Amino acid sequence: MKKIKRFTINMQRKLVVLFIIVLAAFIALGYKLYTITRDKGDAYKRQVLSQQKSSSTTLPFRRGDIVDRKGSRLAYSEKVYNLIVDSKQMHEEEGIHLEPTLSAISSSFPEVDMEALRKYVNENPASRYRVFAKKISYDEVEKFEELQKASMAASVSADEKVGTINGVWFEEDYTRKYPYDSLACDVVGFVQGNNVGFYGLEGYYNDTLNGINGRSYSYLNDDDVMEDSIQPAKDGRTLVTSLDINVQSIVEKHIKLFYEKYKDFAREGAAAENIGVIVMNPNNGEVYAMAGYPVFNLNDPENMDEVDLTPFMKSTSSNTVAVSDNSSAEDTLPETVSADEAASVSNNEPEMDDLTKAKNAIWRNYCISDSYEPGSVMKPFTVAAALDAGKITGEESYDCPGYLEVGGFNIHCHNRLGDGLLTVQQGIAKSCNVVLMNIAFTMGKEEWLRYNRIFNFTLKTNIDLYGETNASSVAFNENMGQTDLAVASFGQGFNVTMIQMAAGFSALINGGYYYQPHLVTEIKNTDGAVIEEVEPKLLKQVISESTSKKMRDMLKTVVMSEPSECTGWSARPAGYTEGGKTGTAEKIPRGNGNYLISFMGYVPADDPQVLCYVIIDTPNHPQQSESTRLATTLNKDIMTEVLPYLNIFPTEELTEDERAQLTESQEAFFVGSDGVSENSVSEDNAETLEEGGDDETIVINPEETVSYDSAGKAISQNEIRYDEETGYPIDPSTGEVLDPVTLLPVNGNSSFITGGD
Amino acid sequence: MARKRPVQTKIKKKSRALFVDPSMLIVVMLLLCFGLIMVYSASSYEASVNFSDSTFYLRKQLGASALGIVCMIVFSRIDYHLMKKFAPYLYLGSLVSIILVKTPLGMTINGANRWIRLGPLSVQPAEIVKLALIVFLAGFICSRKGQLTYFRGFLKCMIPALIPTLMIYRITRNLSSALIIAGIAVIMLFVASPRYWYYILGALGVGGVGFGLVYLVGSGILPDNISYRLTRVKAWLNPEAYASNEGYQTLQALYSIGSGGLTGKGLGQSIQKLGLVPEAQNDMIFSIICEELGLFGAFAVIIMFLILIWRLLLVATNAPDLFGALLVVGVMGHIALQVILNIAVVTNVIPNTGVTLPFISYGGTSILFLMAEIGISLNVSRAQKAD
Repeated sequence: MKKIKRFTINMQRKLVVLFIIVLAAFIALGYKLYTITRDKGDAYKRQVLSQQKSSSTTLPFRRGDIVDRKGSRLAYSEKVYNLIVDSKQMHEEEGIHLEPTLSAISSSFPEVDMEALRKYVNENPASRYRVFAKKISYDEVEKFEELQKASMAASVSADEKVGTINGVWFEEDYTRKYPYDSLACDVVGFVQGNNVGFYGLEGYYNDTLNGINGRSYSYLNDDDVMEDSIQPAKDGRTLVTSLDINVQSIVEKHIKLFYEKYKDFAREGAAAENIGVIVMNPNNGEVYAMAGYPVFNLNDPENMDEVDLTPFMKSTSSNTVAVSDNSSAEDTLPETVSADEAASVSNNEPEMDDLTKAKNAIWRNYCISDSYEPGSVMKPFTVAAALDAGKITGEESYDCPGYLEVGGFNIHCHNRLGDGLLTVQQGIAKSCNVVLMNIAFTMGKEEWLRYNRIFNFTLKTNIDLYGETNASSVAFNENMGQTDLAVASFGQGFNVTMIQMAAGFSALINGGYYYQPHLVTEIKNTDGAVIEEVEPKLLKQVISESTSKKMRDMLKTVVMSEPSECTGWSARPAGYTEGGKTGTAEKIPRGNGNYLISFMGYVPADDPQVLCYVIIDTPNHPQQSESTRLATTLNKDIMTEVLPYLNIFPTEELTEDERAQLTESQEAFFVGSDGVSENSVSEDNAETLEEGGDDETIVINPEETVSYDSAGKAISQNEIRYDEETGYPIDPSTGEVLDPVTLLPVNGNSSFITGGD
Repeated sequence: MARKRPVQTKIKKKSRALFVDPSMLIVVMLLLCFGLIMVYSASSYEASVNFSDSTFYLRKQLGASALGIVCMIVFSRIDYHLMKKFAPYLYLGSLVSIILVKTPLGMTINGANRWIRLGPLSVQPAEIVKLALIVFLAGFICSRKGQLTYFRGFLKCMIPALIPTLMIYRITRNLSSALIIAGIAVIMLFVASPRYWYYILGALGVGGVGFGLVYLVGSGILPDNISYRLTRVKAWLNPEAYASNEGYQTLQALYSIGSGGLTGKGLGQSIQKLGLVPEAQNDMIFSIICEELGLFGAFAVIIMFLILIWRLLLVATNAPDLFGALLVVGVMGHIALQVILNIAVVTNVIPNTGVTLPFISYGGTSILFLMAEIGISLNVSRAQKAD
């Protein structure tokens, strides 16, 4: 047998040496561990915790809705998703997940630029976070997640290691939607970037509409255990406004029609430099509608493709402020230049700068941000001040030779030949400057300025909209001379805003009560509970009840007199009594034949329920100073449709002409050009319309059942037949003729309808 | 000989056959169980994220451990002398297995082509090579014991070790395994040869070249683009500067160790395992042990390994013949090298390279072959009494 080779003592010694080396190495490593803990322990502890913090994620809040008085949503936020690409996860396990994931992305999200994504993923295999698509709808995400689930199931059942859809996740976000696109764009305003509101209600109520972001995070509790915690997002509040989308669309429709009708009318170009319309309730300051032109799509405010920019590209400032002091009005203009736009400006600067200016001009709300000389609409204010101050009784008469010499100048009347002896009432009805100048001189400068302040022309109205201009420094001139006072009495030489005029005029006719104009009537939380009810804010009584009554009587004659005796007869909607005042203000520079024409009207004349103020700046008309009728007609068109809708019923008998006209316009309307409900009858107050009394069937939308499709069009649901003879409604179940007021069956065939007043 | 043998003669043959070194067995089983607990703790988060099953890694490791125990029992029952005959075939087979990596049987995981597929199992040839080399080299040295006195004899004995070393390095691009294989051979030869000086010279030489390279890299004389290993060396010298890429793993491991403190955050309470330390259940498991069990836990693990190495030393010393002793020395060298290198990597004493912690790190092949090695050692420990 072979001799067994032994493990010699020498080898054993070397083995012990080896063990000692190993022991030394272990001790050295143990010491290293000890020094790491001793020297860096605290720093590394903090480091570990700080790395944890970054794992928390933000849960976005939902911005509140903006709804009209009937609850139709003008603006709301919809949940969307951002696509996040985790390149590192895709490359794990030799990149077997890469192809399935990319193909799933390309099939689920057509908007993703696959070439860019592929390039990015290949070049940045360690990237963990990159947003590759924004504002993806839930439907698309759901589709992707189903693919992902299927791929996971397939990989579990497969024998081999197969690639799954991996390395993609989604971040929640919200996007702002405006279902009516351009409707009430100036009032609603829009949102840019991260829930920052611009213009209108979005801008003014930005903080109310916005909520507080939530957070999902992990933290170490007292036992050093990681715990997940979610702080849910606090959603924003919903604004209920006094706007009415139907009234607003009626107004916008007629502005648009005007622009179409008078385009290139007297000269090449747009129908007017600008048009502004406010429809409001004079008894509480609630605004029903507020519109300017042109409109823009709130869902894409930067897109000006469908807007005619030419009037805004030339000179954006000259038409906004007529009188010398430019700076004050300019100061308050909202500054909005979007970032990406600013970036693209550089290559062609002057042109782009003009475009930016034009955009800002279109985004701003003409009715509150632009000031102008009011013209003759100011006259009732002067008369009311003189009456209320007791400087005149209203019984005075003034001789008008067609002009008055003030400070060496002849200041002319509209009618240069003169109207002879005029009462105060006739002075208003015929819009005589001489009468007004005489009244102003009787009052004196101090008194006139005092009332100017009382009527709030020196202050903002504080309407709850973004970007109201304060025109006070141009309105309020303590050092005015006699000539200044003379022209100021009929509304030249100082600036106002439309909302100032409308709010002040409301006070003149409603008994003297000055309400702060406003839009928001309620603020609700996400559950629909009312958090804040905004009551009409009565600020002051500007004139006495009796003065207001006298003003109503005078203003009624402006519209209701014979055409030869008044300036505003063409403003009256058939079947109604209306009061109001026309205005024709020569623009600066004087003598160019450019005028700003306007009409302030209210219905009914004796008990104002609706106020409509129309302004047409520089109408496209051969003789602008004679074009006041454009404003009164626009007022009439709007009132004719708005009044029935607001349940204000006609009180006057119709002439044959008016009847024919109404029938014609109704037919045109019901053929469906615009689709906005013209007449509306509520169940408890079913009222017939005289003009509908012929043998025709009128489609009526009972208020409670009106529904709107996505484009805001009203869908008619009921048909009510009217008695051919009386025009009274017929009960569909019994066939009996009903009294329009009491809704009781009537016996006999009285055709007399009692008016409201 | 200084060995005492009076007791042996009194032991009956039947009970002798059952006798194994109990301390070693207990330490190994403790390490194995502790390893399972730590693998579960370190991997459950990642497993539940990636596989929706927190026990994914644990179950695989449990299976490998069970198989490993069977393997250990089998090897402890088969007389190790039989292995001497099969050693050349085992050795050649292991070399073939390396080449298999390049065939369709090969598997690529995490960009490294280091595995071969055997039915449902994936096996790392490097682990087979370690066992095969220990067995083959033990026999090789036995037959050339006298030649080890000369340097040429030493070199001759190194040839069977250098072949798989180069193959592992060239074919599987696995430097750390190659170094461990070479290291095992050097340790076995060191113990077997009567000389010291060329080992000292060799150690000084390797150390000198290493320091020189590190100096060149650190001072920026060598250009960066020679090899990715150079960047690793730079990241080792200054991990904070490479915190987002090469130094990330090392830094996170250091954060884990530092944040654990003296007593740790408690079993299962690691924060760093929540996706921050890459390979938390694998190469970096020691950092999670430090974080959860603190310095005490880390020292306890080191002491367990020390006990195991000490028991192996005793078994080798008491081995009945040179072959058995060298087998145990090889096993001892293997375990000691991997423990030292693993902890050194985790504590950033040496540049980052993938070395697993024996019995504890996740890895089926590693567990299987380590248990086989323990089985062989137990077999040797049984034989010493029989003599």
